[in-house]
Formats: sequence, structure tokens, C-alpha cells
Amino acid sequence: MEFHKILVPVTGSTADDEAIRLACRLTKKKNKGKIWVIYVVTVKRSLPLDAEIEPEVKKAEDVLNRISNVAENEDYEVETDLLQAREAGPTIVDEAVEREADLILMGVIYKRRFGQFSLGSVVPYVLQNSPCEVILYHQYTP
Amino acid sequence: MYIIVVGGGQVGYYLAKALMDEGHELLVLEKDAARTAFICNDLGSVCVRGDGCEMTTLAEAGAGRADMFIAVTGEDEDNLVSCQAAKHKFNVPRTVARINNPKNETIFKKMGIDVTISSTNIIMESIEEEMPTHPLTHLLDIQEQGLEIVEIKIPPHSPAIGKTVKELSLPAGNTLSLIIRSQQKPFVPDKDTILEAEDQIIAITTPESEEALGTTLRGS
Repeated sequence: MEFHKILVPVTGSTADDEAIRLACRLTKKKNKGKIWVIYVVTVKRSLPLDAEIEPEVKKAEDVLNRISNVAENEDYEVETDLLQAREAGPTIVDEAVEREADLILMGVIYKRRFGQFSLGSVVPYVLQNSPCEVILYHQYTP
Repeated sequence: MYIIVVGGGQVGYYLAKALMDEGHELLVLEKDAARTAFICNDLGSVCVRGDGCEMTTLAEAGAGRADMFIAVTGEDEDNLVSCQAAKHKFNVPRTVARINNPKNETIFKKMGIDVTISSTNIIMESIEEEMPTHPLTHLLDIQEQGLEIVEIKIPPHSPAIGKTVKELSLPAGNTLSLIIRSQQKPFVPDKDTILEAEDQIIAITTPESEEALGTTLRGS
């Protein structure tokens, strides 16, 4: 399996590092394969969309720097983007459409909600609305 | 402009669509989960499930920074409460409420709602315009002053025909503001203007004296 344009949404979880390594392996580097890493800062409706949320932005920048370093160690240069939106799911799908990505690769960790395994709301939305293939990398957490 | 619409029914949905087309930032608050999902599927993530009458929901929706608040649910009570909360708790500059029962219009105005829209009244006004037997057509209520603007057509048998404005015994506080005469430009009448049959008159009156005005201009 090889892809030319991969979109990797990150959240700062431990699964992101492995997800980006996997993206590097799946990309056709010689044929100008491209990897975009995006971090979506969700802005509450009580704030305007362009509000400056310092702690969130700082965290996002740290995550994107860390992911860039991981990619560099894999001998890849990735393009990173920090986006502000009301909801992450539609933003990821919109970005995939806009960039004509052929794969969305997301790292997920094991989460429980009300005592049940939960993928949250973003992953199901992306799976349902993605314009391309989606790979979920599930981080094993003992 | 940031606009919050309470109620995602047919009115709320099409209103949201139209406002989005105009480029406004918009949020629809809808109680029903299925309806919320439908709107989100169709318009994007602009609909949130919640009760527009609850303070926490309004706070989360960003009512504090809203420029306009529109309540268009099918329940007058909900429209009133949500608009009141938006107006008095979150200081939204402009509140608009849909009224289903026209009798509630006065209450809404007394409660400080800026604009009220009653579909029943709008339909009634259209009917009044279309029905030639109807003596007066209400065009606008100026509630703060207790005045209303009405349109009256002078019928061929009216006793006012051939009389000047000063000769008419108009009720106190009533003014003839404009005359629209066929094949002429509309003009503002003075005390010497003579009324003719089929004149359309725009007049300012009060709810108490509109009947007397109608009798003066149209006859009994």
C-alpha cells in the first residue's frame, strides 16, 4: 500500500508519533509524496473563531514541532498546519478535500466513556465523511 | 455578524440557510436530536442540540457575543423566554421573535423584544389588501406612540369626495399623510387638497379612532 498525499491529524496523544512514522513508511517519497500534519484547535462558541487561545496554541505548536522531529528522524519533511475551528471532524474532512489527500491517517488511543470503549466523536465523523481512505492506528495501552 | 437562531424547524432551517448565504456566522439551537443531525448534515456544523430557554445552553452558544438573537420555535412561550434571556441576561442588541398567537404581541413588546413577527397578522394584512370591502388596511403599528399607519381607498359613494381636507371632520390626532391617485405621482395632501373617488390614502391614526376615520373617508 502506497499513498501520495497523506493527511495526519494529531492531538498530542502518544499514538501520534507512531502514526507519523507509519505515514512516512506509506508515502511514496521518490514520487513526491506529501505528508501534511494538522492540529485542530477547537474554539468554543462563546469565543470568536479567530480568538487567540494562548495555552491551546502553545500546546499545538509543541505537538507539531515534536511530530516534525519524529518525521525528520524518518528522513521526511512534513508540512504542519495549526487550524482553529468549531469542530475537529468537519475540519479534517474539509482539509482532506481541499488538499486532495488520498489517505487520512489518525492515531487513536484506548478511551473509555461511561465504562465503554469509545472512539469519541471525531473519528466516527471522519470515517463516515472522509473523501478518501482512512487508516486508524490504535495505540496499545496496557 | 453572529446570529443565534432558536428552533430548527422549517422556518429556522430556511432562515439559517438564507443567513449563511449572506455570509453571517450562525448557530441554530434545536431540542430534537434527529432534526439537529439533519441540519448539521445539510448545512455543516452550525446546529447544536439544546434548549434555547436554558441559560447554560445560551452561554455555551456564545449569546454573550451575539449581534442578533432570533427565536422561531412553534411555541410562543419558548420564543419569549429565550428572547428575554438573550436580551436581559446576555445583552444581545437585537432580538427577534416569531409569534404564533397574535394576542401575545403586546406581551412580547412589553417584555422588551425588539421585533415581533406574527405570521397570522402578515396573512391578515395581505387579505385586507386583497379584499375591497375591507375599510382599512393596517400597514404598520408604531407601538411606542400608540399609533398605526393605515391605507384607505375612497369608494365612489363616499361623502368625502369633493371635499377639501380641512372640510373633513377627521378624528383628533389623525393625519392624512399621502394620497396615491391614479396616473399621478403620490403627493402629500395639504388642507386645500380635494379628495376624489378611488384615491388611496395613507393615514396615521390610533386604534381607538380608526373606525371614525374610516367612516369619515368612506361613509357609514
